[in-house]
Amino acid sequence: MISLARRTARQSPLLAIWYLFLFTLVAVGVYSGARVLIEGLRVTNLTDELPWGLWIVIDLSSIALGAGAFTLSAAVYVFGLKHYASIARAAVFVGLLGYTSAMLALFVDIGRPDRFYHPVLYWNPHSVLWEITIAVMFYTTVLVLEFTPIIVESTPLNRYSLARRLGHRLHQVMPVVALIGMGISMVHQSSLGATYGILTARPVWFSPTAPVLFILSAVAAGPALTLLVTMISGELMQKRMVPEDVLQGVARFIGFASLAYLYLKLWSWMSVNYYSHVPGHAASIRILNENTPYDFTFWWGEILMGALAPAIIFLWPRLRRNRYMLMLGALMVVAGLVINRWNVTLSGLVVPLDWSPGVLDVFPINTYEPSLIEWGVAAGIVGYSWLGWTLGVRYLRLYPNAVRVMRRRAVTRPAVAESGEQPATAR
Amino acid sequence: MSTQNTNNNAQEQLLTRREFVMLLVGAGMSVALANILADPLNPLFQKILGGNIDRERYAAASTDKPRWGMVIDLSKCIGCEYCVYACQATNDVTDAMRWNVHIVDQTPTGDIFHMTRPCLHCNNAPCVSVCPVSATYSREDGLVVMDYDKCIGCRYCEVACPYGARSFNWEARGDEPNPRAPEWGTPEVPRRPRGVVEKCTFCIHRIDAGLAAGLIPGVDPAATPACVNICPVTARYFGDLNNPESEVSRIIASTATFRLREDLGTEPNVYYIPPEGLAI
Repeated sequence: MISLARRTARQSPLLAIWYLFLFTLVAVGVYSGARVLIEGLRVTNLTDELPWGLWIVIDLSSIALGAGAFTLSAAVYVFGLKHYASIARAAVFVGLLGYTSAMLALFVDIGRPDRFYHPVLYWNPHSVLWEITIAVMFYTTVLVLEFTPIIVESTPLNRYSLARRLGHRLHQVMPVVALIGMGISMVHQSSLGATYGILTARPVWFSPTAPVLFILSAVAAGPALTLLVTMISGELMQKRMVPEDVLQGVARFIGFASLAYLYLKLWSWMSVNYYSHVPGHAASIRILNENTPYDFTFWWGEILMGALAPAIIFLWPRLRRNRYMLMLGALMVVAGLVINRWNVTLSGLVVPLDWSPGVLDVFPINTYEPSLIEWGVAAGIVGYSWLGWTLGVRYLRLYPNAVRVMRRRAVTRPAVAESGEQPATAR
Repeated sequence: MSTQNTNNNAQEQLLTRREFVMLLVGAGMSVALANILADPLNPLFQKILGGNIDRERYAAASTDKPRWGMVIDLSKCIGCEYCVYACQATNDVTDAMRWNVHIVDQTPTGDIFHMTRPCLHCNNAPCVSVCPVSATYSREDGLVVMDYDKCIGCRYCEVACPYGARSFNWEARGDEPNPRAPEWGTPEVPRRPRGVVEKCTFCIHRIDAGLAAGLIPGVDPAATPACVNICPVTARYFGDLNNPESEVSRIIASTATFRLREDLGTEPNVYYIPPEGLAI
């Protein structure tokens, strides 16, 4: 272990610093998580009036950002777009990291982590959260199944014929697994939106479009994260991870998904804010705008940065062919999604309930700022997923079609590097 | 004072005979009243409370499917918070997690009124439908109760309840005494562990035990929620909404009542008599 660390440090000091950073994040997370488990949720800034916060945002975001797995697997195995297989494996890995991150966040967030298995024993089919829990469990199993062949192939396990046969058999049934996965995914990605959308008590949330907005944004942001990490890893490892036309295809897909999301989002906004005046909803929006930067983050963060700008980048061929614009666009979609999940979760809770029949505003506005421990756990989860990705991309065959390329920086003569890139872009 | 000024002889006496006798009678009556108030099972108290019920007619009209409900008369409530404290003592609730709450609100005419709220025990309870482990469930008799052994502490019920009627155990409780006991009652149920949500039960333990003992909830104090028994102005009534002879049914049939946020479709089993000046 120490010698491995020494070798890494000698070969690439930057990588060593990166690992050190990630291990620090994980250590902070382990410490904070332990504090939560020992002392209970009183170490958070959550209250009975605002019982969900940063960890639920992380849970929702990581599940949505893991949606690249079902989207791209479906492209390959259900819609027969075989050449996307070159990115589907990485998407499955991102999905696996996303779903396990969500599980970590939930494990810390629930008051009784020792009872995490209760949804399996005590069913309530009428609860969207029960349905989500069961679906997330099944889908994580699907992801593990999808991922097993990659593990077998990339590790010493490959020496054993039994493991190889198992991996091969799994690979054969993959279309079925992917189809099941797509079904489960579509159901629970939208149910996460329904978690908020069905609550009549909170006018900002109560909306028939919430489930659809959740799945549309996930379908855009999941592949965007996969695209982003693929490109960043490619840059750093000086490899072309996937053929250029696959990158372009995924980018175009994200562009269209963003447009669809934008379309429904604007109509949802207009129907309750512009074309009609629902007292509870209007009052809630007023409270949010007076007390939080909701208006700004909604229009600039969610709409402009999270959907409109990336849609332009991804659908305008000239912009799309610039790989830095591509990365920027993907980053914007991902950031827009996280802002959206934060806004959705907090907006409904900041506005107080109104059940007293009198005329006074008797209930105070609920404020929330995550506590240091909450940030610590968040850092740990982020560290876990980044560490998982770093190790995965270095030691597993995530990109079966990856080829080594010379980038401009790596060679003295730029012309050579340019020509090295040409064949892929030309296709 | 005026007697003393006009009658100088009286200055030598501390008390006249009449004053002494009246004091004695007053003290005796206070002791008797305190005894009655301190012991809900006192037959005299029962008679005062159950005076409006004809037990025979009630028994004849009762079915095997009761639906427990409450009527809260906001025109009577004086905001003394006795209901809050009695509930805290009886159900061993901390000050931060009050199952009953009291707030001061105002009518459109500008008069203040006192609003108190237990759990409303909705027929279409959002907390029941969202619970991922069925830890919160509706009983046949309308009570919305919790199985604290199932609850995983996800707090979705807190998010879903339109009335803020749920409290989460953010921290573990030791065996420190309840601040409201014994002045306001003695704890009758076990403390809840850290990490689960809890809520008002309409003193379910009293209802179930009372029914088994042949008592009538809402009539016999031993089978009636603590908040109803304690109310000094009788602003709270409890009983079987399915029995037309119960006091709650008779009030609802004869008086204008409303329920909180009927627009949400939760169908609460707690009815309110509005304060003066509040149109419903």
